[in-house]
Amino acid sequence: MSLGQGEGYTYDGADLEKPNQLLRVDALRKAFAGLVVTDDASLAVEEGTITGLIGPNGAGKSTLFNLISGFYKPDAGTVTLGGTDITGWSPYKIARKGLVRTFQTPRKLEGMTVRENMLVGAQTQAGESILPIWLSPSRVLKDERNNLDRAEEMLELFALDHLADEPATDLSGGQFKLLELARAMMADPDIMLLDEPVSGVNPTLAGTLAEHIATLNEDQGMTLLIIEHDIDFIMSLADPIIVLDQGKVLTEGSPDAVRNDDRVIEAYLGGDGT
Amino acid sequence: MSLESRLRSTLAGRTEEEKRVLALIAGFLSIVLVLVVLGPVVALTGLPLPTLSISFIISTLAIAGMYLLLTLGLNVQWGYAGLVNFSVVAFWGIGAYTGALLTGAGSPHELELHPLYGLVVAIVLAAVLGFAIGLPTLRLRADYLAIATLGFSEIIRIIILNEEWLTAGGLGVGGMPTLVSTWPLSFTTPVLDPIADLLGAQTRTVHDLVFVMLLTFVVFLLLRRLQVSPWGRVLRTIRGDEDVAAALGKNTYWYKMQAFVLGCVIMAIAGWYYAHHVRFMTPAELDPIDTFYIWVAVILGGSGSNRGAIIGGFTVVIILQGTRLYNDFIDSILFFLTIDEAALRLLLVGLLVILVVRLRPEGILPPQREHIWPAALRERAGEEGEQ
Repeated sequence: MSLGQGEGYTYDGADLEKPNQLLRVDALRKAFAGLVVTDDASLAVEEGTITGLIGPNGAGKSTLFNLISGFYKPDAGTVTLGGTDITGWSPYKIARKGLVRTFQTPRKLEGMTVRENMLVGAQTQAGESILPIWLSPSRVLKDERNNLDRAEEMLELFALDHLADEPATDLSGGQFKLLELARAMMADPDIMLLDEPVSGVNPTLAGTLAEHIATLNEDQGMTLLIIEHDIDFIMSLADPIIVLDQGKVLTEGSPDAVRNDDRVIEAYLGGDGT
Repeated sequence: MSLESRLRSTLAGRTEEEKRVLALIAGFLSIVLVLVVLGPVVALTGLPLPTLSISFIISTLAIAGMYLLLTLGLNVQWGYAGLVNFSVVAFWGIGAYTGALLTGAGSPHELELHPLYGLVVAIVLAAVLGFAIGLPTLRLRADYLAIATLGFSEIIRIIILNEEWLTAGGLGVGGMPTLVSTWPLSFTTPVLDPIADLLGAQTRTVHDLVFVMLLTFVVFLLLRRLQVSPWGRVLRTIRGDEDVAAALGKNTYWYKMQAFVLGCVIMAIAGWYYAHHVRFMTPAELDPIDTFYIWVAVILGGSGSNRGAIIGGFTVVIILQGTRLYNDFIDSILFFLTIDEAALRLLLVGLLVILVVRLRPEGILPPQREHIWPAALRERAGEEGEQ
């Protein structure tokens, strides 16, 4: 357990001793033009859990996601996924290794239907290379058939099947978040990183989203790491909760423990903790 | 089957946009027909009406084929993958000059090879150069590719102009053989020559027209298959948001490279054809404005759509050639203005772009179908039909 002295309060760090660590981050560091955004952050995600990642604005949550998923290259530290060191890998390689992420702002693909969106998620399709399109169209057809079936199942699971033919740009914010989840599932990942899944989503649909995420976890055994600003949402869904503050892990614990931790309240309210 | 029911079955399953475009094409063809019929009328009566000769149509179409290839090539880059390539005319010039220098009687290298050698070398050269430009720029933001290609285009033009030992410089290269009269296509001449005689057109032009239209059609079919494949779907995702594609496990750099090189190769093939069509190449042919005509054609037709690229390509050719043909007629209508025809042509292209961007920003015929392997979709439609 890494212990550090913060500005006014003690940084306990995350629980790094937990069993079955699917994702492990060690002493990850990233600075932009001298400003240290991720400051020796270490954490572990246990297989089969929904782990929440919270922290005040500017704590470095999204940067940490970008470092883990390969969109940023860390200055120091390591990221380990399922026992493999994936530090510095390209995003697409990390995705193929089994880690799929979503983005905070909805990123809609112009001109593509919901069904097309789903099909992009499927991995290692024969028709994604030029040669098989000409040399073995039967393999392309077989993959496409399977992926269409799987897309249909997933859309049903997320109650989006009635929207399959619609342009994805026409979906509401909440429906689009559901689509992103379903599309990520098409990639058959081992772990999903969700960046603020309910930002800009109305409370009713946020409830639906929470149910879907819980179902993924319980029925499919999906491991999830979720950034969320909506404290009630994340507290009811995730256990454990990791609190990030000023690029470091402040503490980790059950929702109740975190809720009652004075340092967490101080970090959210006090800015520099003085 | 009556004509009406046949027409109905053709129109069934077409989208509104497709019907509108079909109506536009039918209207345009009617105008062409009227103009052709007016030819003899004007010859007899001497009325000041615009006319159109069949030999002009044939020679225009023989050039149009080249424009269509260029438009299809740029559509792969910009329409499929969202890549900004401003060296369309450079890759076209690489193809044209490769063909000219390897086969032309007037080439400084005096090789006079068979045109097929020119084709192969043009394809390889375009692929290698396209790859070389893509290597450093495709990892960066989109604007860097735009800047690099803009510079590359000028470099190629200046090399062709100044490296006289290689390209004969400003003198130009001539004496390239025609394509259809050489093996393996020469067997078609007994069929095509009587047709040319019948239409009163130059036999060589008819040969080239048939050749380039077939070539364009084959390229169109190849590209359409690629577009509706999972490959095309990944490119469309990259065009929409590259990060999303990467987060879903797609090697976006490699996909962009494939699209870029493929587009460059198609452009070089267009140039290769042109060298054997006009049979004389000079550096002045590499006019940067041609790059932007092709851009106009792609945007006009509907970025990302192969059929749109064809329609856009034709539209630009019609404006470029039509204003040449009807200079006198336009002058007689706009007699109160003293207009330079070349300026008028540019003005028309500019107006057209403004109109399309204002009224139909997605182009005349944007993609109408999902990017899903057609055979798989047909199976599905069949299943639903049975239920």
